[in-house]
Amino acid sequence: MGLRWFHFAAWGLFAFGLALLPELVSKGTLRTLIFANYLAIFAISWDLLSGRTGYISFGHPFLIGIGAYTSAILTKRFGVEVEIAIPIAVIVTMIAGLIVLLPALRIRGSYFALVTLAFMELMYQLVQVIRPDLTGGTRGMSGIQTLTRGAVNGFYLSSVLMFVIAVAAWLLLRTRIGTALTALGLNESAVEGSGLSTTKLKMFAFMASAFVAGLGGAFYVHYLGSIAPRALFDINFVFTIIVAVLIGGASTIVGPIIGAFFLTFLLEYLRPFLPGAERYFIYGGIALLLYMYQPKGIYAMVMKAWHSLHERAAK
Amino acid sequence: MLQILIQGMLLSGLYALIAVGFTLIFSVGRTLNLAYGAYLMLGGYLYFWASQSLGVPKSLAVLMAMAFGVVLGILKFRLIVKPLKGDHIAVEISTLILAVVLQAGVILIFGDSSKILLPIVGGVIYVAGAPVTYNMLIATLASWTILLSLYLFIRRTDIGRAMQAVSMDTKGAAICGIEPDRVNLITWALSGGLGALGGVFFASYTQLAPSMWVGPLIISVAVVIVGGIGSIIGTLIVAHIVGFMEVIVVSVLAPELRGVFTMGLIILVLVLRPQGLFGREEL
Repeated sequence: MGLRWFHFAAWGLFAFGLALLPELVSKGTLRTLIFANYLAIFAISWDLLSGRTGYISFGHPFLIGIGAYTSAILTKRFGVEVEIAIPIAVIVTMIAGLIVLLPALRIRGSYFALVTLAFMELMYQLVQVIRPDLTGGTRGMSGIQTLTRGAVNGFYLSSVLMFVIAVAAWLLLRTRIGTALTALGLNESAVEGSGLSTTKLKMFAFMASAFVAGLGGAFYVHYLGSIAPRALFDINFVFTIIVAVLIGGASTIVGPIIGAFFLTFLLEYLRPFLPGAERYFIYGGIALLLYMYQPKGIYAMVMKAWHSLHERAAK
Repeated sequence: MLQILIQGMLLSGLYALIAVGFTLIFSVGRTLNLAYGAYLMLGGYLYFWASQSLGVPKSLAVLMAMAFGVVLGILKFRLIVKPLKGDHIAVEISTLILAVVLQAGVILIFGDSSKILLPIVGGVIYVAGAPVTYNMLIATLASWTILLSLYLFIRRTDIGRAMQAVSMDTKGAAICGIEPDRVNLITWALSGGLGALGGVFFASYTQLAPSMWVGPLIISVAVVIVGGIGSIIGTLIVAHIVGFMEVIVVSVLAPELRGVFTMGLIILVLVLRPQGLFGREEL
């Protein structure tokens, strides 16, 4: 896998920084950081499916929502323990990932993006209509059991979750499967031509993405304690996830994390000046400009600057 | 029964009007303009501002909204689509971002609450006991007229034929002396104007709200997917399928199930027949 000492040093430093943060910042900032952590998890999940394989998903909340709703319904309506509900939610989400996989076997590009968008809208409508006694209908559910109390504990839980997922995804993508997945995004027929099964590779990517989405969604709902269909199956939520990945840098693991933190803090710092939804005007504007200027994201910009610095130092 | 027929016809006419601009872009440029719904929203809001705040005559306000849509279309092509050099995924993502930015811009100017638009043409006529507003009737008639003239425009005029050529094979068209960029620009301008016009009627059918762009976008997507690209007649037929399906579901089953069947239809068609019911064999 080509692991070098500085990889361990960088991840170690990152973990150390996360562990130290609650000592340095206020409770309010910690709550923001928790959201950034969950957004980073969702962004990693999106990146596993779309950033690598090139099958752009516009309906990622479909997967996240299934994870969140399954766990919420199991704990609240059936009194299942959280420790059992979350793994079940993850398995259900992975089955849902198989449903998303079906169209990907036949169509690609824009058409696939549209199917995923249709999946999300379908889910949004169905959740409100089918068995509202279970899902809570349009108003959603509240009073769901939470896992932690207080900002500090919530921050540690979300940080550990995000860190473990990030490292696992990073290791996974350094294996030969990771290389094959990246190749799938570059040229699908070439991958097929080299004797690899694209169906199996796609299935793997979708399963991995659904696993992370289900895990993130389930933990997220047990952090929030409430769930509502419009907040979840929303095109603005898709927008936030995709923008986090693209601004940070698609098909890297660090990129989505950078993007998620960058965006969450941008939104937070704009709050005093623009309290309402107007923040999205500035936020979206910055996202659009950054994306048009450098589609590979902040990660690519930093790497470029780093390399040019190196070259100058060598001269 | 008759009520369903009339309501279905009216809603379908509106849907055809909304979807046709989206079909144009998708057929010629082969890109999904996810900010298409924003044309409708901005067209509706501009009409609202001009006619209800400034007191401009209604017909003039409709023209203003259309002109605004044309300008938007041109700007979008020049500033976003062209610099991205035909990278479809990048165009889709940046138009999605743009749509959210425009929505936030509308909230910034007009506020978050939804607004009721006065009907463009007042009055109600009773057909077999069912109330039909003149407004919807006009929208349906306008939709039929526009679709018919668009069909003739694409079939009979030089620019229309050039659009067809670019939609079939961009390189081949370029070799024959057609400038694809110019054709694309015209298509984006046309689509913007049609979208804004559709938005005025759609807003007077429902109401003005900053989040009103999502619904029409989904309907346009459904119509284009099911109808297939490059087919105006397909757009018209499928708009009627979707419109009637919604009216039947709302009046026979339950109003909440309205979108479920439309979504199901999109997924089913995309998986079973990706080129659409009336589209060319592609993919």
